[in-house]
Amino acid sequence: MQNVLTKISGEAKFELLIFLALASIPLVFSGYILFILPQYMLFGLLAVSLSILWGLTGIISFGQAGFFAIGAYAIGIVVKSTFLMNSAILGILLGIIVSAVIAGVVGYFLFSAKVKATYFVLATLALSIIIEQLAKSQKEITGGWNGLFVDRISISFGNLLEYSLFNDIPMYYFTLLLTIIAYALIKFLTTSNFGKILRGIRENEDRILALGYNTSIYKTLIFCVSGALAGFAGSIYGTHAGFVDPSLARVLFSTEVIVWVAIGGRNSIIGSFLGGILVASLANYLNSITPEYWQLIIGIVFIAVVILFKGGLAGGLEEIYHRLKSKNYVSARNP
Amino acid sequence: MELAASVLLDTTLITLTLALAAFGLAIIYGLIGVINMGHGAMLTLGAYFTWAGLQLEIPFVLSVILSGFIVGFIGLLFEHWIIKRFYNSPYETLLLTWAFFLVTTELIKIVFGSDFRTVVNPYPGSIDLGFYKIPTYRTLICVFTAFVILSTGFVFFRTSTGIKIRAMIQNREMASLLGLNISLTYKIIFGFGCFMAGLAGGLVAPMLSVSPYMGDMYLVRSFFVVIVGGIGQILSGTIIGSFVIGGLETIVALFSDQVIAQVAVFFFAIVILRIRPQGIFSEK
Repeated sequence: MQNVLTKISGEAKFELLIFLALASIPLVFSGYILFILPQYMLFGLLAVSLSILWGLTGIISFGQAGFFAIGAYAIGIVVKSTFLMNSAILGILLGIIVSAVIAGVVGYFLFSAKVKATYFVLATLALSIIIEQLAKSQKEITGGWNGLFVDRISISFGNLLEYSLFNDIPMYYFTLLLTIIAYALIKFLTTSNFGKILRGIRENEDRILALGYNTSIYKTLIFCVSGALAGFAGSIYGTHAGFVDPSLARVLFSTEVIVWVAIGGRNSIIGSFLGGILVASLANYLNSITPEYWQLIIGIVFIAVVILFKGGLAGGLEEIYHRLKSKNYVSARNP
Repeated sequence: MELAASVLLDTTLITLTLALAAFGLAIIYGLIGVINMGHGAMLTLGAYFTWAGLQLEIPFVLSVILSGFIVGFIGLLFEHWIIKRFYNSPYETLLLTWAFFLVTTELIKIVFGSDFRTVVNPYPGSIDLGFYKIPTYRTLICVFTAFVILSTGFVFFRTSTGIKIRAMIQNREMASLLGLNISLTYKIIFGFGCFMAGLAGGLVAPMLSVSPYMGDMYLVRSFFVVIVGGIGQILSGTIIGSFVIGGLETIVALFSDQVIAQVAVFFFAIVILRIRPQGIFSEK
């Protein structure tokens, strides 16, 4: 055991610690926190979906909320309109697939023409607005402005066992389990060769192109994965919150995702995940004590982070850690 | 014939109003390459300052001009304290101007509240052409827009300041070696773009209801105006882009509803981004 623990890296230990802490929270606390924390974990996944674009590949998307909303609407519409046994699983799958397909089509369309990175930002902004407008206007399907109520789902395994997620504790562990699975898959992806190529694209796309990799395919694929992850988080969010409305797709929500990732640390998956959880809960807390000023405070923190810490809190902590370790440490971050 | 003439007039009105709203963005993006995501918030600020000016019983025209100057000054401060350090990193300027939007919108909500305000139309009534009536105020705005664009063109192509700016766009290092003060020129251009945004916000205020988010729709539309028209083609590009975006939206809205029209325009703009990133009519 000792041997295994020393073998895994500091970051992996930290990740393990975070998920153990999340798993033990229901043993200690009860009440509101058990209701709200799963939502924040899903926001954490949404933040991860941006960080694999922004931190890993160097592409910014202003449309992550759009995919999140697609996921949430997918489960809402499927659960409402079908009476199949596993409509919940169907809804989640549909949310993932629709998001991934839209991301794939838009991504390939733009990346294959070598559209500039800043133009891609504008295109995703437009995509998010299109999704929001469609959600508002297609009243028969989406409920329009009024939104859609979604029941808490139950997961059934054949006819034998039905696991209802109506209560908070089952929902908590269900969400945590899915979050860990999704997180582990993303982690695997980023440490694989695929992840290395994406990092190469971030640093010098022409060089990776010259090495014979079709970079537009890689960028399209990571955008697909990112869309799928955001859609997945959104679909679980839909059943957890019990309510879906067009404001989920609004640009301001996409912006919040950018703020979480910027504050958490765009280059660190765990940093972004924690950024999602912590900044969203901080926002909730500030909203309860100063409803007028909280968005202002978050906006100012955002400016400060962009100007002062390019790597966000994760990058800042890493630097302090290295400085303490060796006094001669030269910053390895991008100049 | 009369139908055609009225459609033509309508399209002209829409094109020039949109061009007015997009002009500040086109200047900043086209000349110094900064994507000003705060443009929408600057329009909104201009509208609120104009509203506040009217509350203080300052005449409308003076209120609009004052709003332009105040927003221009705020833009200058923002440039001086923050943006000027990030001219070489497009992502950072994009995020920082977006943060400017967030903070400004919140400040507007705190100072003015979130409820809708109205700016009374200072020139109600319409000009009767016999077959068609054009609203007086919108006509005045269009004349003003045409004037602004033409006079910017004059400064750009017929004065020594214009020559310096064009030299700077062509080769920044060389222009700087020849004694052109680059950072001051950038500052002036950024400030002028913000001034135009504030002015435009004040001018469109009587046509819309003033709310903290009124600039948002204009922000995205203005981007597409600039992209469809071609970046750097500040004068003709802004007009062509506004014509395509505004005209398309009007035509699609004739056959379906407003929402579908907007979706169609955005979709169209994404397609343009891909197939003609240099602008719809401009040469490479």
